[in-house]
Amino acid sequence: MEKNTFWRIALVLTLVAVFALPATPFAMEKPNGFPNRPMTMIVPYGAGGGSDQLARAMATALEKVVGVPVKVVNKPGGSGVAGLSDFFMARPDGYTITEHIDDAATLYASGVIKENPSEDWYPACIAQIAFSQIYVRPDDKRFPDWDAFVKYAKENPGKIKLANVANVGSMERVVTSLLEDDQGIKLTQVSFDKPAERYGALVGGHVDALFEQPGDVRPYMESNDMKPILTILNERPKAFSDVVCLNDIGAKFKPLFRFRGFFIRKDVPKDRQKYLEWALKTAWNSDEFQKFNRKKYMHLINSYRDIEGGKVLVEETVETYRKMGVKK
Amino acid sequence: MENLWIGIVSLFGDPIALLLFFAALVAGLLFAALPGINMVTLGAIILPFTIYLEPSQAIMIYGVIYVAGTYGGAVMAILFNIPGSAENAPTALDGYPLTQQGKAGLAIGAAIVSSSLGGILATILMMIAAPKIGRWAIHAFGPPEMFALIFFGLNVAASVGAETFWKGWLSVMLGLLLACIGTDPAGGLTRFSFGTYYLLAGIHFIPLILGFFAISEVFVQGEKMVTLKYKAPKVGLTFPSFRDFWNMKICIIRSWILGFCAGVLPGIGATLAAFLSYNEAKRWSKHPERFGKGELEGVVASETANNAATGGAMIPLLALGLPGGAITAMMISVFMIHGMEPGPLIMVRAHALVWELFVAMFLANLFIFFLGYLETRTVVNLLKIPFRLLCPIILLLSTIGSYALRNSLFDVWVMILAGIAGYFLRRSGYSVAGIILGVILGKIGESAFVKAIIIIDYSWLGFFDRPVCAVLLVGGLVTLGWNVYSSFRKRSTP
Repeated sequence: MEKNTFWRIALVLTLVAVFALPATPFAMEKPNGFPNRPMTMIVPYGAGGGSDQLARAMATALEKVVGVPVKVVNKPGGSGVAGLSDFFMARPDGYTITEHIDDAATLYASGVIKENPSEDWYPACIAQIAFSQIYVRPDDKRFPDWDAFVKYAKENPGKIKLANVANVGSMERVVTSLLEDDQGIKLTQVSFDKPAERYGALVGGHVDALFEQPGDVRPYMESNDMKPILTILNERPKAFSDVVCLNDIGAKFKPLFRFRGFFIRKDVPKDRQKYLEWALKTAWNSDEFQKFNRKKYMHLINSYRDIEGGKVLVEETVETYRKMGVKK
Repeated sequence: MENLWIGIVSLFGDPIALLLFFAALVAGLLFAALPGINMVTLGAIILPFTIYLEPSQAIMIYGVIYVAGTYGGAVMAILFNIPGSAENAPTALDGYPLTQQGKAGLAIGAAIVSSSLGGILATILMMIAAPKIGRWAIHAFGPPEMFALIFFGLNVAASVGAETFWKGWLSVMLGLLLACIGTDPAGGLTRFSFGTYYLLAGIHFIPLILGFFAISEVFVQGEKMVTLKYKAPKVGLTFPSFRDFWNMKICIIRSWILGFCAGVLPGIGATLAAFLSYNEAKRWSKHPERFGKGELEGVVASETANNAATGGAMIPLLALGLPGGAITAMMISVFMIHGMEPGPLIMVRAHALVWELFVAMFLANLFIFFLGYLETRTVVNLLKIPFRLLCPIILLLSTIGSYALRNSLFDVWVMILAGIAGYFLRRSGYSVAGIILGVILGKIGESAFVKAIIIIDYSWLGFFDRPVCAVLLVGGLVTLGWNVYSSFRKRSTP
């Protein structure tokens, strides 16, 4: 009897915890009234791109949680470096946060920046974690699927031109070289810094394949201008159940992800860090933000991390890049 | 025709849309008229608010701002030598001298008519053939063709605004050198960054334009004040006559074609369009020596082209979801904010929206004609402001404009340094317009070249396997050769 009650209470508590945790936005108290004036969200990339879209969606949701305006400021340039100088120069009072992506890990691993993105500044929230795919034109007779692609690449080494953002040490370049080594093929990577040019190059027939995340090229898949032939994940996600994944092709490397999040500095007071972590999580969970993220295919894998989880993600990424010999 | 009707009904059937149309038109004109603070600034400011609007209204606003802003930049370029943005820079080359000769009304009148005409024709073509042209453009123009076009454009840059052919090329080279600063487009490696984060992003052309044109002009006029040579320009209200335009009909048609074609290519856009057609106007003119000293045809050429390019730029955006510049990139954001994915299907899925945009852009061009006429009557009177008051205003606005670009003081310093350098460069016959075009084309050109050379497997002859590419490269080489030849001939027979 005694035991039974114990289990019953335990069950109730677990159920409450399970249902309450993700959903309840029971308002956390503002630490000493923080924030009581408008906040600044730096976006180190240009208006209109993936980072900008995410930041604006998050800012709108965040404003409702914190009750003060969140001003988005684009400071593009140098693979996300230019905006950082202002981020590090601002007062560490928690009023200035910056959006950043896995480039932060690249920049640190390659020595372009000195500030460690998992120690000196770190994500208060990772809001998007995206897997990549390889796309080709649906009317390209040479390679209708991945097997044909590999066969063609083996017969014509270096002949296949793959469009991506191949900055030295970028996620794209690292994954492509892992894939090349694993499959014993040789591709020629063509780096396109502007997404519009990258997509235009594949659709217009100037390159043969494209390395991209599905959320960014969704319209081109729907209009049948592009189709995925490989998902760079260990398992096939539901939305792409007819596309082969890493396990299917026997690849033995761990997939790397494109992630985007919101970073704070370590010298921001701890109570404010906790508050920001909570506020960003609540905003992330809001219906309107979830609607946005769903459109970007962010529901296929868990794409949220808190401070601790975010630090681990960044750390692991830096480590992988270091191992790959990413140097300046 | 039915589509056109849908567009007209959705614009005029909605009083709020109509109100927004006029608000965007006036705001675009005003923002473009302030140096440095241009339509891109306006677009960025209103972006978060578009969420409260209907998607069609939001997109329509941006189309109207784009049209109005591209024309509006010409006014300040003509009156005060301050191009609102890069595509108005060639307008200043002849527009400002006209103002100094007391013919401001003539220049602005020409800018209005040619902007409006160029824009109207471009929107009509856009309505007829957007999807087809869009597909054609991305197939025909890959990175090798882009590079070839830039190479051709560099020849143009060298012959705009400099005293001699050699000084023109030196100006362009300086621009190309400045374009090297920052992160290279091939592998993301740093060049000339001296370890600062600011230089990693490179030197942006907006502070350069403000420095080279506006700040250095303040120095030039200030010097005249000190040496007591300053004479306030007369306020001229004479408008160009119909005959003036009839005489320039060939120039208008040529500039319109160049402008529209350049606009269609993502990433090339209005700036190269304006410079190309300015240069072609000069090349085909019977009096090329008058250019740069107040030739009306120069104003007409560049303004026709840059407004024709706005129509062109909508094509890759709407047909394929590929933005070519800052404003079109913001339109992508607007689509996204409203939960629409811009892409090849947008013309099918958001049929009414697209046609409302077309109609709005068409009308905006038409209204420029009337509003511009009124604006000219009033705005020319700005010239009556005494220089000692005008000078600090120009300095203030240019500073704000440079800062607003990336919210960074670094760009303000770039502007001040460019102003000082520009003062000396202009005195010694170098072309500041050439330097700016060098910076802009250098960045796009290098990025196109590194992609192109990989795509053609590192074989130089590969450029000539592609017909469009070969024509442009040969055209560029012939122009270069001819210019070298004639500059030597001029020297040997003084």
